[in-house]
Amino acid sequence: MTLQHLNRRLHLYLALSLSPWFLMYGVSSYVFSHPAYFQELDKSKGPLWTKVLERDYDVPVPQGDLRPLGAQIMKDAGLSGAFGAYRQGPNQINVYVYTFLQSTQAKYFLDKKKLVVEDRRFRFDQFLTGMHAKGGFEQDRIQDTLWGIVVDLVCLGFILWIVTGLVMWWSLPSTRGWGWVALLGGVASFALFMFRL
Amino acid sequence: MSKILRRIHMYLALFLTPWVLMYTISTFMMNHREWFQHLWGKGQPGWTPERTAEFRGQFPDNAAPREKARILLTALDMDGTFNVQQQGNEHGPFAVIRQHPANERRVTLNPETSKVTIERREFRWNHFFERFHRRRGYQHDYLTEDFWAASVDFFVLAMVFWVLSGLWLWWELKVTRVLGAAALLSGIAIFLIFLRTT
Repeated sequence: MTLQHLNRRLHLYLALSLSPWFLMYGVSSYVFSHPAYFQELDKSKGPLWTKVLERDYDVPVPQGDLRPLGAQIMKDAGLSGAFGAYRQGPNQINVYVYTFLQSTQAKYFLDKKKLVVEDRRFRFDQFLTGMHAKGGFEQDRIQDTLWGIVVDLVCLGFILWIVTGLVMWWSLPSTRGWGWVALLGGVASFALFMFRL
Repeated sequence: MSKILRRIHMYLALFLTPWVLMYTISTFMMNHREWFQHLWGKGQPGWTPERTAEFRGQFPDNAAPREKARILLTALDMDGTFNVQQQGNEHGPFAVIRQHPANERRVTLNPETSKVTIERREFRWNHFFERFHRRRGYQHDYLTEDFWAASVDFFVLAMVFWVLSGLWLWWELKVTRVLGAAALLSGIAIFLIFLRTT
């Protein structure tokens, strides 16, 4: 097997194995770019959030990091998934619990000493944007860490596609002229955007 | 047909290489946000004074903050995408953030003295790439922004085209079908496992 051959095969098999991610990032980017359109599509489908639990609740609120409190609220409400805790106002702490197929928010009203849990109706556009935006290594669950590693692998995949693609282009002398036009045209357009935006 | 597909696949990729690179680097930086914050600093980058100026123009009566901001930016030859923060009542000082991926500025006008302070956002690579990554949509008033949004849509179309044309080109290479199918199906299987468990 020659180096040229190896390069082609790497380009191909890498693309095939990462194609679900490639497709997901592509289609979800379209949703991000046209939020008003998808909002309009969903308008007639009724409320997005449905209350599933309301109960008396009283736990101390720490001054700094709200993540331990978020974990406790999730445990007390029987929730699981990746989550983030933030202060919605002086008297409200929200815990947003997210999995690819299901989103839930727990609202802790400090002054009323109440905990309200709401489920979000499934929306395909939000399912796509949720997958697109998911990443990082802050969560404790192993599957979230593994997803973060896959995001890194996809990044590496993109870099390898560029490198192997450039090698394949260069090995076809008849395409070099138009290839330069395309490459330099892309670089010039991008640079123009960078300075004019 | 096959040759045409190959050529479009390749020339499109060459043209869009800067977009692929930008989205890749920015995704990596966002995936390791804490590490890059540790490296370059947490929170929003600070503002560095750049210059002061005097605003000699006038705002129409009852002008909305966005209208005033646009008049101010045009007078300073800085027109472009912005957001505006009015402090206090409508006669109080107001600040305009002139958005830019690399060179963001804050323009603050004190209407009582007509003095304008222009500050530049401290440059950080992670913020630069993240801002660029998130820039999209047709909600702005500027043609350049619409062109950028169109380029993002074009990039999305290209991604879908690369997948579909790649599948076609793979299927034509009979010797790669078995290993290719293994790669494709294992990718789909792993993706579905994540979908069910994450």
